[in-house]
Amino acid sequence: MLAVEANNVTKVFGSIHALDGLSFSVKPSEVFGLIGPNGAGKTTALRIVSTLLLPTSGTVKVFGHDVVQEAADVRKIISYLPEEAGAYRYLSGWEYLEFMAKFHTSDKAEARKMVIEAAEISGLGERLKDKTKTYSKGMKRRLLVARALMPKPKLAILDEPTSGLDVLHSYHVREIIKSYVKRHGVTVLLSSHNMLEVEYLCDRVALINKGRIVAEGEPKELKEKFRGTNLEEVFAKVVKLA
Amino acid sequence: MLKGFGNFLLKELKELVRDPKILLGMIIVPLLMFPVLGGVISYATQSAQERATKATIIVVDNDGGYWARNFTASLKKANVRIFIENNTVLDNENITKLLSKYNATQILEIPRGFNDTINAYISGQKANITLRFYGVMIGPSAFESISSSVIDALVSKFNREVAPDVLTVEKSAIIKGEVKHGVDPAVLSGLLMSQSIALPITIMILLTYSVQIAATSVAMEKEEKTLETLLTLPMDRLSILLGKLSSSIIVAAVGAVAYMAGYSYLMGSAMSGIPAGVNLDLAALGLAPSLYGYLLLGLSLFVTMLSALALAVIMSAFAEDVRSAQSFVGYIYPLIFLPSFALIYLDINTLPLAIRILFYVIPFSHPIIASKAVLMGDYWTAAFGIIYVSAFTIIVMYAASRLFATEKILTAKIRFKRIRKRGEKTAEELQ
Repeated sequence: MLAVEANNVTKVFGSIHALDGLSFSVKPSEVFGLIGPNGAGKTTALRIVSTLLLPTSGTVKVFGHDVVQEAADVRKIISYLPEEAGAYRYLSGWEYLEFMAKFHTSDKAEARKMVIEAAEISGLGERLKDKTKTYSKGMKRRLLVARALMPKPKLAILDEPTSGLDVLHSYHVREIIKSYVKRHGVTVLLSSHNMLEVEYLCDRVALINKGRIVAEGEPKELKEKFRGTNLEEVFAKVVKLA
Repeated sequence: MLKGFGNFLLKELKELVRDPKILLGMIIVPLLMFPVLGGVISYATQSAQERATKATIIVVDNDGGYWARNFTASLKKANVRIFIENNTVLDNENITKLLSKYNATQILEIPRGFNDTINAYISGQKANITLRFYGVMIGPSAFESISSSVIDALVSKFNREVAPDVLTVEKSAIIKGEVKHGVDPAVLSGLLMSQSIALPITIMILLTYSVQIAATSVAMEKEEKTLETLLTLPMDRLSILLGKLSSSIIVAAVGAVAYMAGYSYLMGSAMSGIPAGVNLDLAALGLAPSLYGYLLLGLSLFVTMLSALALAVIMSAFAEDVRSAQSFVGYIYPLIFLPSFALIYLDINTLPLAIRILFYVIPFSHPIIASKAVLMGDYWTAAFGIIYVSAFTIIVMYAASRLFATEKILTAKIRFKRIRKRGEKTAEELQ
């Protein structure tokens, strides 16, 4: 069974076709990257997979569950990290993680275990006792990535996980994703502008432009096919061709 | 002059004036609301005065002498519509019979010995006599005292023309069919009013606070970018809505208790200056709500708060940030302020039908209407209000739950300009 199966998905906002026949599939336990320029439709695609938006046409299935018909079932097995997510300002980092853990389990011991693990992967240490309004952007993002991964979802959907972060925080977040995800066999669907990041993290990538997939494959495969030294070059060539 | 101040001020004013939400909420709404309020109050004052001057008074003439007839004639001259009855003992039973016979609300008794007393006064003896006035207490309203003042004016006119201080009036109120001797309906009405001001004001503040809290909490989820995460969690989306509503009610209720504590202290200080004559025990007069009345009032307040909160949640769902949400819910305020202010002064039953219907349609009028109704033992009005507001709340809650169940909670936005291009703008932002 595929982790994600998107078939001919369109999404129309007024006169804008944000997605125009988008199709891709993600295998279980792989890290799959959607890459594309601003306005290509990456966030819209991720929002549809995470049941926030409804497709205008086409179907999306997550581990066999339709995101429209079985949205509640999908929400039980996914975890979504929006690009511009925030945390509750007047809760401490620890309280925020506790609040989120309680949605995934009603067992107190299990929730506590989840929070302890999240605290560890966030690397925030004692600062978790402070209110999140005192966190830097990087710290907040680390907290949110830890929150997204702590329930060990079958599918983690990460929209620009390192967007706007400095080198050190980006490095930390990438390491979290790389190690934690592989260790627990979590499938990841992520979007990113950062081609180096995508190359480092993803098993396979899809290049998206104007709401359509224009190329798909392993980073190595794509570099060979389009004769690029890195994914950035591949991306530029593919977009020009498209 | 501070460097850059003028330039900055100009920019601020441009931004504020060009924001249609502020223009509507801060300028146009008050400009419309207060004239409407003024119109309603002035109409009510006029009609109460007209009613008072055209009042029907049953004059029970138990004397029958020259001066009694003279006094009755002076009432007629003052354009007061009167019915005359002779030799009737004014006990509870007779009072009720007379009031229903003439469909009137006031009785004035000229006692036996009236003629002799005045003649004695004129011949130089020291004498005076007391007329008895009975007025039916309808409910707390600023204009309830007008009819009682008309009698005062007529008596002092008679005193001026015939003999100073020969006549005095003893007033009694008829409350729920019972005569309460020595209770002036005007004073009682004033006292009830001063007490009944507290409730509309508290309701107004409670509703305004809770509406603000609910709107802000929904808008904060959007502004702080926490709503998207919340909507993808394995939870019932109705829980988000109900959680927001319940927390707003709790916070607003705590605020209301604190407010009422402060307010009652203020009222206590203000009342301590009132003369002892006004010290009436409302509970003993049957003018304090019963336990059942309090229950109905509490229920009415609760469903009304729910309706306001649900409305605020729906409206703020269309806002992108806290500022827009607060501007949106600003449109609910006239609907809260208008009945609160107006019903402090007015008795809804004395208003013209169209205005009465308008007040009944506004859900936020009902706790105030209920508070006056239960005081007079009219539980049906309170109960119907609760049924109406509950139905209104269910419809609004259903709409709110539908909104939370779909993508509209993320994509719905109201723009005053470029409404036709709303789809385009939303799409740009979503990508």
